[in-house]
Amino acid sequence: MRWLSKSVEFVGKVGLFGLRVVVDSLRPPFEFAQCFRQLAEVGNKSLALVVVSGFALGAVMTLHTRNTLVTFGATSMIPAVQAVSFFVEIGPLVAGLLLAGRVGSGIGAVLANMRASEQIDAIESLSIDSFKYLVVPRVLACVIALPFLTLFMDFAGLLGGFLSEELSSHIAPILYLNRAFEYLQWSNFIAPTLKTAVFGFIIGSISSYFGYTTDKGAQGVGEAATNSVVLSSLLIIVADVLLIKCIFFLFPETAV
Amino acid sequence: MSRRYLGVGIFIIVGLVLFALGIFLVGSRHEAFSRHVLLYTEFTDLDGIAKGSKVQVSGMDAGQVTRIEVPRSPSGHFRVQMKVDEQLHGLVRTDSVVTVDTEGVVGNTFLTIHSGSLNAAIAQAGSVLQSKPPVTMSDLLSHGLGIMNDADATIKQVGGKLNVALDGINGAVGNVNDLLLGLKEGRGPAGMILRDEKMADQVRETMSNVQSTTSNLNQASGRVNVLVANIQQRDLPQKLDDTMTRIRSASTRADETIQKVQQSLAQALGPDANGVTAGQNVSEALANANVATGNMAEDTEALKHNFFFKGFFNHRGYYTLASLSPEEYRHTKLFGSTQSPRVWLQADTLFRHGPHGPEELTPNGKHAIDAAVASFGNPIFTHPIVIEGYSDAATPADALSWSYARAQLVRNYVDARYPFTTKNIGVMPLSATPPPGLGHDGWSGICIVVAEKK
Amino acid sequence: MSDPKTIAVEFKRVMKSFGTKRVLNDVSFHIDQGQALCLLGRSGTGKSVTLKLIMALMRPDSGEVYVDQDNVVSMGEKGLSLVRKKLGYLFQDAALFDSLTLYENLALPLSRLTKKSKDEIDDVVHHVLTDVGLGGDGAKYPSALSGGMKKRAGLARALVLEPKILLADEPSSGLDRITASEIDGLLMRRKVEHRTALIIVTHDVHGARRVADRVGVLDKGNLVAFGSVDEVSQSENEVARKLITEGSNV
Ligand SMILES: Nc1ncnc2c1ncn2[C@@H]1O[C@H](COP(=O)(O)OP(=O)(O)O)[C@@H](O)[C@H]1O
Ligand SMILES: [Mg+2]
Repeated sequence: MRWLSKSVEFVGKVGLFGLRVVVDSLRPPFEFAQCFRQLAEVGNKSLALVVVSGFALGAVMTLHTRNTLVTFGATSMIPAVQAVSFFVEIGPLVAGLLLAGRVGSGIGAVLANMRASEQIDAIESLSIDSFKYLVVPRVLACVIALPFLTLFMDFAGLLGGFLSEELSSHIAPILYLNRAFEYLQWSNFIAPTLKTAVFGFIIGSISSYFGYTTDKGAQGVGEAATNSVVLSSLLIIVADVLLIKCIFFLFPETAV
Repeated sequence: MSRRYLGVGIFIIVGLVLFALGIFLVGSRHEAFSRHVLLYTEFTDLDGIAKGSKVQVSGMDAGQVTRIEVPRSPSGHFRVQMKVDEQLHGLVRTDSVVTVDTEGVVGNTFLTIHSGSLNAAIAQAGSVLQSKPPVTMSDLLSHGLGIMNDADATIKQVGGKLNVALDGINGAVGNVNDLLLGLKEGRGPAGMILRDEKMADQVRETMSNVQSTTSNLNQASGRVNVLVANIQQRDLPQKLDDTMTRIRSASTRADETIQKVQQSLAQALGPDANGVTAGQNVSEALANANVATGNMAEDTEALKHNFFFKGFFNHRGYYTLASLSPEEYRHTKLFGSTQSPRVWLQADTLFRHGPHGPEELTPNGKHAIDAAVASFGNPIFTHPIVIEGYSDAATPADALSWSYARAQLVRNYVDARYPFTTKNIGVMPLSATPPPGLGHDGWSGICIVVAEKK
Repeated sequence: MSDPKTIAVEFKRVMKSFGTKRVLNDVSFHIDQGQALCLLGRSGTGKSVTLKLIMALMRPDSGEVYVDQDNVVSMGEKGLSLVRKKLGYLFQDAALFDSLTLYENLALPLSRLTKKSKDEIDDVVHHVLTDVGLGGDGAKYPSALSGGMKKRAGLARALVLEPKILLADEPSSGLDRITASEIDGLLMRRKVEHRTALIIVTHDVHGARRVADRVGVLDKGNLVAFGSVDEVSQSENEVARKLITEGSNV
């Protein structure tokens, strides 16, 4: 029972925290410079990770699906399978999980350390709203950067798939591109890409929550980092299920 | 600080470019940016067409189904609204017909607007186009099956009447027939066909070829009937039979045979004033049969080589009898095995030299064959029968040619006399050397084998 | 009682608890402009909390905290930002912003709380850094500084706004004697030259005797002694007496 009430309390705290992020991000003054700084931190610095993983994943995916599709004589479907799986699910989800690992732990640790070493108090003592100065820019950076990172992941995956396919069947780039987008529709390109903004919000707010609210001193730093990654990864996957349902509801033609 | 702005700027710009690229690539496939006209059609059965289904005009992606109005009563029709690319509008005429098609054998359904005739006016936006009810694959297959059975019967008729069995025809019809059965029952790898469009197209093409072939054959058989009546009236059968036999032994290649048949018939029937029509009839009939055979052989060959059916055919060895060399045949377990019952018949009892040179069956020979067939009992109705021909002629070429001629002679006799499925009878010229292990080192004559497939 | 016009910081019956734990229990005191108060007490007795209450980083459960006659307890963010301009805070571990250079650490309060131009900010930062002996280290990040340098840098940041009141949380703890007395020197100069009121949390009784006009001793949430060094050393409270005399014997 105690455990239950603690869990519910936790959900409440996180929910209010998220709400505060939304409200504060809409209320001036805006910390543009901080947002920019965090965008560079979250976006640019994750780019290499995302592009390289996307590329490798794309190449590997093609190697695997190729075998199966060849058995069914559906070689011409390889680009379509690649594109659909990347744009609809693999790109958004893997980009989200990678960002949760790279950035989530970073946000959790940095904020927890700032809390432990009184840097957050120091910011408050300058009459700067530390929530707006530290938390909101981080969340916004995640929200903005993740859809872009997802696009990078999608196209890197497509490129990896293309090169892998090119090596085995010498397909022309333009034909690959044509076939790749044959089965894609607006709704399964735009909606899955934009849903990652929600993933970004989850990563940003959960990690910030653990970092910003820790009161365990230096020991809390590692804890916050771990908790950030674990919970944001978990929530991303859960949210994905719900978002897919929502997308199916809004765009019934994607649910084949 | 400015380096950071630069980096973030590049990140965002490249990201936006990728987004635009994605939208453009997706959009270009679905003609979102092009102009459209709305057209309508009506169906009693939608066969799986739904909102968003693809619409093609003459095979080109042209748009999609945008709305479907459901009928109120069973007598009503589904009214389908289609969004069609303006650029293809010119092909859609008032007499254009809309059909429901399937991607691959069991893939998505989509609508095809067939381009209309040149003289008809362009269908106005909002007009209702005619439709043709969907033909499902299974309909197509059973239809094909019926046709093939007809064809089989027809060929039997022709063969029986003329005492002629053209190898090609038998093979082709047999193959197609079984293939269709297999497809229909979803048996074997055929059931695995998912969305392979090429495969489906091939099946469809074969069907239409078979249809035209059959009408050719029907025509041919009609003519043959007339011809045979003609010939019987004029007491010509024996002469014709002789000619055919001679020509058959002269060559193994079908077209050559037919050429010679034509020549010989022209010779045999030419001088006669009434015979001119008869000769023309026969040669035309055979030419038709030849074309038909060629078509079918090609189609089934194409099907056969499609990878889906590889396994299917490999399991039925006797189809490939025609493509087995005598040497391979001798070492094939199925036929060379001691378990398959055999009857050895000697050339002396079977054949005599006919008036024009080549051998023909003696009455005694016919009796011997009858006795042999009777001795096999029931299995002969259900199992492949191979008639092995043997000749101990001096030169290898003669031996091969004579052994083939002998086997053909016996096969034609058996085929015409007994109700065995034509495709179940195969011939194999083996010169003078039977398969090893059967107690005969050399032979001259015939061996009838019933392949007991385990 | 001294003239209210000259009072720098005053606590009136301040109570503060965390959960069930009472950290400050009915604490009242005041110091005047230009005076130095040294807060003594064992760890965990609420000394840092006292400083944070002055800075309004926390609010008391009850009671009033006056800074320059303004009650910070009931004040909104706007008023607080005015009050905070008069306050400098040297945190226990300096609390320099890790992601900013030393220069940026000092420039941040100026750009946020004043309307100074970039050149003026440059001047002030340079001047203050030189003052604490870190003139050449402006481009360094905090991680590259030693403990003593960090404390001095933290002090520099607390001083850039020219505060009337300086709060220093253990400015000399963890430092060697020489560095510690350097920092004491800096604080003294501040008091003498700028008439800055000092509230210093310290364990260094030696330093306290040098700098302090007033000494306060906190024990278990109570202000057990408050007055001049001599008064406290004759206090009837044993803890207070022990703290101040033990230190002097070392
Ligand atoms: N933000 C806080 N939340 C909960 N407890 C706190 C908080 N800040 C301080 N405390 C508690 O208040 C007590 C006094 O802390 P502090 O003033 O930092 O001690 P010190 O006198 O050593 O500086 C400690 O027991 C500490 O655990
Ligand atoms: Mg403390």
